Parts: sequence; structure tokens; C-alpha cells
Amino acid sequence: MKRILKTTAMLAGLAAAALGIAAPASAKEGKFKVFLSMSYIGNDWQAEAANMLKAMAVSPGMIDKIDLQVQVAGPNAQKQIQQINSMVQAGADAIVVYPISPTALNGAVKNACAKGVLVIAYDSIITEPCAYNVHIDQRDWGTKSAEWLVQQLGGKGRIVMINGVPGTTVDALRIEGAKEVFAKHPGIQIVGEANGMWSQAVGRTELSKILATRNWDQIDGLWTQVGCYTANSMQNEAGIADKDLRPCVGEASNGGRIQMLPIGTEVEGANGTYRPMGAKRWSSGSQNFTGALALKLAVKKLQGGDIPALTNVPQNIVTNDTIKLCKEGTWKEMSEGCNAFQPAIIPNPGWFASIYSPLTPEVGLQAALVGQPED
Amino acid sequence: MQMTERLEPALRDGTAGRKWRLGRDRGLLTAAGVLVVLASIILSVSATPLSYYDISQIVSSGTPLAIAGMGQTLVILSGGFDLSAAAVISLVNVSLAALPPDAVTSPVLLLLIGIGIGALVGMVNGALIAFLRLQPIVVTLATMFILQGATLLVMDKPGGVIDASLGEFMGSEVIPGFLPMTGALILACLALWYWLKATPFGIALYAVGGDADSARSAGIATRRARFLTYVLAGGFYGLAGVCVSGQTGAGDPLVGNPMLLQMFAAVVVGGTLLGGGRGGLTGTVIGAFVLVLMVNILLILNVSAYYSTIAESTILLLAVLMGALHRRSELAENLRRAGTRFSAWREGVLARQRTTDVKRLALPRRADGVPADGVRVFGEGQGASLIQRLGRSRPAILLALPAFISFAVVLLATEFMLGNTLLNGNYYNTLLVLSCFLAILALGQGAVILTGGLDLSLPWTIALAGILVSGMAAGSNVELIYAVPFVLLVGALIGLINGTGIVLLGLSPIVMTLATNGFLQGTALIYSGGTPDGFAAPLLRSFMTQRVFGVTPVVIFLGLFVLAAVVLLGRTAFGRRVYAIGNSARAAALSGVPVKRTVVMVYMLSGLCAALVGILLSGLSGQASLGMGDEYLLPSIAAVVVGGTLITGGRGNYAGMLGGVLLLTALQTLLAGTTFPTSVRSIVYGVVILTAVIALRERR
Repeated sequence: MKRILKTTAMLAGLAAAALGIAAPASAKEGKFKVFLSMSYIGNDWQAEAANMLKAMAVSPGMIDKIDLQVQVAGPNAQKQIQQINSMVQAGADAIVVYPISPTALNGAVKNACAKGVLVIAYDSIITEPCAYNVHIDQRDWGTKSAEWLVQQLGGKGRIVMINGVPGTTVDALRIEGAKEVFAKHPGIQIVGEANGMWSQAVGRTELSKILATRNWDQIDGLWTQVGCYTANSMQNEAGIADKDLRPCVGEASNGGRIQMLPIGTEVEGANGTYRPMGAKRWSSGSQNFTGALALKLAVKKLQGGDIPALTNVPQNIVTNDTIKLCKEGTWKEMSEGCNAFQPAIIPNPGWFASIYSPLTPEVGLQAALVGQPED
Repeated sequence: MQMTERLEPALRDGTAGRKWRLGRDRGLLTAAGVLVVLASIILSVSATPLSYYDISQIVSSGTPLAIAGMGQTLVILSGGFDLSAAAVISLVNVSLAALPPDAVTSPVLLLLIGIGIGALVGMVNGALIAFLRLQPIVVTLATMFILQGATLLVMDKPGGVIDASLGEFMGSEVIPGFLPMTGALILACLALWYWLKATPFGIALYAVGGDADSARSAGIATRRARFLTYVLAGGFYGLAGVCVSGQTGAGDPLVGNPMLLQMFAAVVVGGTLLGGGRGGLTGTVIGAFVLVLMVNILLILNVSAYYSTIAESTILLLAVLMGALHRRSELAENLRRAGTRFSAWREGVLARQRTTDVKRLALPRRADGVPADGVRVFGEGQGASLIQRLGRSRPAILLALPAFISFAVVLLATEFMLGNTLLNGNYYNTLLVLSCFLAILALGQGAVILTGGLDLSLPWTIALAGILVSGMAAGSNVELIYAVPFVLLVGALIGLINGTGIVLLGLSPIVMTLATNGFLQGTALIYSGGTPDGFAAPLLRSFMTQRVFGVTPVVIFLGLFVLAAVVLLGRTAFGRRVYAIGNSARAAALSGVPVKRTVVMVYMLSGLCAALVGILLSGLSGQASLGMGDEYLLPSIAAVVVGGTLITGGRGNYAGMLGGVLLLTALQTLLAGTTFPTSVRSIVYGVVILTAVIALRERR
């Protein structure tokens, strides 16, 4: 037993040394101690939102005020509960959180509030009343997107729905909003429905399954949460010309935005179907800057300011009428109305382009890409 | 190899009586040691001292995992495997949250409802496994899907309210300032376990897990023991669900799901061996808290986000490695053996250093090629008629048949429900393109499962391969010449690392491959900086998406792959060694099979297959994305076991696995063509798997 303990201690020490772990960060005088509890880090949206949040933390107005420490809980709500508890224990002033579950964290959040810790959630929701929330109205996303699609189809047509992750609030609200609109138009017929898990890759396999027994002639439009870029690529492979692409509703991937540009627009770094196609699109996303905004609001509140319990971030809807290519992607340029980025700068078409907010001039394209704030 | 040692504990339990032995409790002691070390790190390094309140909170957040892990341990001790455990937790959570407000306000009643739901599910599982003699992993896989569907039926999104009395009860103190209610629940479960262990059921449990046939011969009611195991385990999961509900105060249909892999990790860290017969519930509780404390450790050490999975995996590996540092461990055994070999080599007495003089018995041959003693030498089938050959492969055909029959039924159902199927070339082409990923993974995962292991590192091997190949090729064909071989090599290397850890260090496959997965996730994040870039080469894209005379090139490739896979597993020395190891590693070793080398090769094969899937998947999507492998882990296991492979190893063939792949893909295609809600789809999916294995099960 003693020997086991000894070896254990030795190996644990070795591990700590091997990982090059520094001494625990102690709050420096006069700085707020802020923790970020992320959920899953293994997808593009999360990585981008985290980059923007980190950029916000080191932006000129913030860097002297806060000490930010980032932790990842993975997809497990139990783990996030414990993470929040231990952040409170470690003396957090504020906890910014991407909540894995809108309900499961309530106990831990309530406890944190009771100890005077500010808890603010971004993108997804925490239902505990003492928490602050920053997100877009997901139900409204469903309604607006469906209305656009119905209008494009003239109130009549067969559509395919590619949903998100079943069992989540965001997915349920979006579907609810959309189906309510579709139900009002008896001419709209939903011919296939699948769970795309908010991933272009899964969206592709699911859409292929739907098309195994149908062909594109039997589909007039697509309502997807993530997947228009892929759907347009698949139509191209099936020999459908750019001008005949079915109208599609979906998230704000840069690939999809580039496809919306009129045919013939000059872009750098186009490749395959990552090129201007004049595709008929409605594009709006869960905003990637909400984390950065949440951090900013948290600091405002810690400094004695007032912030609303719910910051309802307006949607940034881009259609073929409003699509505009950015040259560099600075915040200033985006504030003048550009909303898509050169493929040469963004080689990944699945990258989310919804990074602009008038409320966060500290962060632009460099923030989303590498975590650098605007100069 | 865990297989070789399986029999010993049962024997020892019987003969050594109550005499305490270090060897038997080593796993438990190691886990306890690790827990003590982690706890003391937290206590000493923490910026602010931990109060009783903080500790009671850690206990509370670890309780669901600990209790669910106890249930899983029971199943694993009996030689089974329960995939439905996490789904039970979600179902209990939403069921309690969906109760009308103020309908039940007694925490004890809520507790009983939760445990009741769990036990009910356990009864279904137990009946199917014990009385219909179905494979635990297939049954619980099917019930997992059914339960997930039922959960979504009860509640399709987070919400509802759980009576506040439960939260108060769970947050209360049994001995104020000393023992929180959740801690007391764990202690109560442990007390139940120590009582059970001494009953005839407890002895039967270990005996069934050790060797079911011997147990039956010894007069143990194995069926009843199995049945009871699942009922009890279900009760534990139910209780865990109640604990979650008490903590959260509301329902969430996804709350339990991510706990499944953690549960297995807790079981293995706690010293219980997969395959049954050795270990215990106390270890699992400790294992669960080792995992839970990791959250605090990572926070204290301030590991940066991209490195967090790497740090976590390192701690997990170190924790389990402790168990490998004793005199009778696999590692020590290996070192000793290497030493012996080395000295034998120096003395020049190794078998291969001797000049050998092959002496074969010269048996006179008969004209038809059968040796005079009448024994037909295997492989000398030239003279055999087709019927004889078919007869010889009858068991193999029977094993593969159920999956293919079910596949045919699904095809008919698709024609009936969606039309445009049976005579539609496009349908088959799409089906085969979509099947290719699982078909390739099934070879690797299948070979691993045949040797009694499991490869959990597939998701991030796939993702890393996709990211590497897209990044290197960057949309150009020429680069493929070196990018593809390089990435395949990386896959094989990942397998080599897995295999080496398992064989040389004697680590459990679950822990080793889970840790590798964590390392790979960190590597992929660091390499890509959070956003993978680059494009699949145009050639790769056309390979996966273009049609040549109505056929996508990958379909032809799949045909060749299937042929190669059938030959590899069924007709080569490597394949036969895999089966031999699965049947009995010790018997194989004694018959001269290079067990260790073969096991390492099996994991390399799996890594290679996963890398190939990563390459093809990036070709289909046009580029790589971070989580692209996440959807393939459970299906890879499902396809293998639905195709008739025994998870405990030794039985199954590639044709069957392919049937499993086709069945599952066709079923998904059918469901995607409908507008059923997800809940109904999930239930249908589970029911079809279950019906297929029940209706076509092997009759004795």
C-alpha cells in the first residue's frame, strides 16, 4: 500500500512536470477573476466562439480588468455542474458559461448566485432566473427562415428538413417556429426530415439517404439548420446548373455565403463548389460573438453597471439582396455591411461567418480566427 | 490479456475462503491510492481551503456516476455489457420531470418510481439475455435506442419541473457537518453490495462471469443469476437518474447519454476486469471519484482548453498504470520474459538459434489425397465437392444469415413505404456509398472485438486522418501520392500505440483506447487551431461523389475491400490467429500463436481502417471538420455485433459484419425517407435490431 502510494505520488508529480504546468493562477490585485466553462470544444462553432471570447479578454479595454481562465466540460452536464461548483470554490467573480443543458445546471447556478458569483450564459440558455443570458431568439429563427422559404416557393412545394441535435432546446424551438409557418400553408409538403446534428458532414449523409429513393426533381426547397453549402454541392454533382439550385435556408457558414454571391463575382481562393453560384439563400446564424459580448456584459456588471437578465441579440439575416464580400474583415468594414469572407482567408467553407455585432467593436475577423482583438 | 486470468478469481474465491489476499484487492487498492493522491493534490494546491461544504458538493456531483457505475459493474462481473445504462438515467429524469406538478411530493416515492423504472428496464434486458440467450451487447444496444426514443416521446426538449422536495432531500445532511445524503446513498448501496456478495446470488454472479459453463455444471442457476443481475443493475441506474433529477430540478432528455463511456472508465479504473469474474463495486465508486476529481485537478492546474483532453487522458492512463506496477503484472511479466529471452539468446539456446532438423512422420498417402489415417488435413480441400465445402462453412453462413435476411426485409419495407427501391440502381449505389464507412470500420473494430477488445479511439482517428489529408492535399491531386500513404501510416501508428499499451503494459483496451482518443482530440485541436483548413483533392472528391455508368468509384473499391477482408479474416494465418485468441488467449499462446504480436496487429488494422474512413469521409464532404468521427463509434460496434460477432470474442465473420452494416444503413435510409419524429425513429430502429436477433437467433 505504502509503495503504491509512493509510486502514485511520484508519477503524478512526473505527469505535472511533463505537462509543463505552471503554478496555479492566483488572482492579481484589482483584477476580476473570470472563468469560462465551455461545453464541447470539438466543433468549429465552439472553437470560433471561444477564440472571440479570448480576444475580448485581451482587448485594450479589458486586459487590465480581468483574469480569464478557460475550462472545458465536454458534452457531459454532470461534469459542468461540478466545474461550476469548483469555480465558485476557487473564488470566481464571474462565470461565463456555454451551458450544456438549459435545466441541468440550475442547482449549481443557483448556488453560485447565492455566493455572489455572477453567472452569464451565451448562445444556449440557462433557465435558472438568477443567471444572465445572451442569445438569439431561436424560435424566431425558425419562423423567419420558414417565412422566407414559403415566399420563395410561392406558398407551394415539397421541402426537406435537415434538423439539428434532437432533444436540445435550440433544435426544438427552431423546428417549432418553422413548422408553425409551414402548417399555415397547405401547399407546403414536408417530404423528408432528418437529424443533421449541426454538422455539414452529417447533413451530407442524411441528405444522401433521403435522396436514395427520390431525386432532386421531387424536391423544391430545403429548410436546414446546417447544410445549405453541402446541399448546393450535391445538386451540382447531380448535374443541376447554378441557376436552378433549390432555395435553401440555413446557418451562416462562409461556404454558403460565398455561394450566395452573384455568378462571376471575383473571389480569391475559390475551390470546387466553394465559389459564387448565385444560390438562392437565407443565411443567419447563432452568433459567434455572443460569448465575447457575455464577457463584456459580465465586466460591466462587476464594475457596478446594470445589465438586463436577457440580452436578446438581434439576428443578422443575410439574403441574396444583402450579401456583400469583405476585403479584410475588420470590424469597421463589417459595420459598413459586408458579411462574407474571401475563401483565401477562410479556407474552411464550414467556418461560421456570423461574427459581426455593433456591440462588440473589440473583435473582428482576426479575433474569430486566432483570438486577436482589433487594434 | 484479461482473458487468461478470468478463471483464477472464481477458483480462488472458492478455495481460498475468506483469507485476505493483496493480489485479489490490488485493483481496488490502486484506485484508492490514486484517489488519495488526487485528493491531496487538490487539498494542498487549492487557492482557498476546501470546506466540508465544498467536499459534500464534490460527493454530490460524483454520486450519479458512482451509483450508475455500480450497476454497470454488476453486469460486467456477470460477463455482460450494458449499453442502455445511460439511457435509463435520461428516461428516469424526464419521467420524473413530466409528472404533473404536486402529483408526487414525497422524495421516497420519487426515489421508488425512479428505481422502479430502472428495474423494469432491467427485467426486459435480463429476460432477453438470460432466457432467450441473446448477446448482452446487442440487447442493450437495442434497448438503448428504444429508451432514447421513449425519452424523447416523454419530453422532446429540456423542461418540466421536478418536485422541490427531491432536491431538498438530496441536498440534506444525514449527519450534519459530516455525511451528506448523497454520500449516505452510496454507502447504503455499498452495504447492499457487501450483503449480496455473501449470498448465493453473489457467488453465482462471480461464477457466471468467471465461466458460465462451469458454473452451470456446478449446479448454479445461471439464468436466474443473470436475470437478477440486470434487474439490480437497472435499479442502480434508476437511482442514479433520481440523483441527477434531485440535483438539476428539471428534465433534460440528453442528460444521461454522455455518462456511458465515463461509466466504463470508472469500472475499469476501479479494478474490475471486462469479461467478468473479477472486481467489485467498491472499486467502481473510487474509480468514479477519480474521474470526478479530474475536473478540479484541471481547474487547479489551469490546463489550457486545447490541452484539457490530453491532460485528462494522461491522468487516466497514469491512474490505471499504477495497477501495472506490481510483481505479478503484465508489465513485470513481460520484462521478466524479455530478460529470460535475452539471457537465453546470449547462451545461444533460443529455439531459433538451434540448428533444426525437421522430422516429419512420413505417412503414406492415399490416391485421393487423404492421409492414410483418415484425418483430413484442413486446407486440403481441392478434392472436396461444392456441397462439402458449403457444408464446412455452414456455421459461418448461419452466423451471417440473420443480418442478411433482415436486410432483405428492410429493402422490401422500403419499397413498400417509399417506393422506387428494389429496381432502382441509384438506391443501391447510394446505400453502398453510405455503407462504405461502416463496412471499413467494421473490419478493424470487428477484428478487435474478435480478440475480446474494443477500440474507442475511432472517432478522433477518423477526424485527425481527415484533417491531415485535407490539410496536406490542400485541393491538389498530386499531393495525394504521399498524403494518403502518410495518413494511413499515421492510422497504423495510432493502432500500434494502442496495441503496445494493451499488450506490453497490460492496460484494459477500454482505458487505453479511450485515452488515445483524448490525446488525438487534443492533437487535432492544436494542429488545426480549432478550424481545420484545406480541401479534399478533386480526385478524392470524384472518387466519392461522381458516377461512372451510374456507379460511384468507391462502390467498386468497397467490393474489393470486402473480398480482401473476407480473405484476411477467413483464409489467412492472421485471421485464424485472431479467432484462436478470441476463443482462448492462453490456449492460443500454448499452441504457438504469437498472441501479443497478433493483438498489436489487430489494433493497427483498426487504426488503418479508421484512417481510411477519415480520408474517404473528407472526400465525400469536400473537407474535414473537427467532430466528423463522432457519429461512427457506436454504429461501428453495433454493425459488428448485429452481424453475429460475439463481443466476448472468438466468434463471427466479416460477411456477417457486412450484413450488419447493410442492415443498419438500409434501416436508417428507410427512416430518413419518412417524416416520423426522432423519438419514433429511434424506437423503430431499436425494435428492428431486437426482432432481427430474436427471430433469427441460434437455437440450441
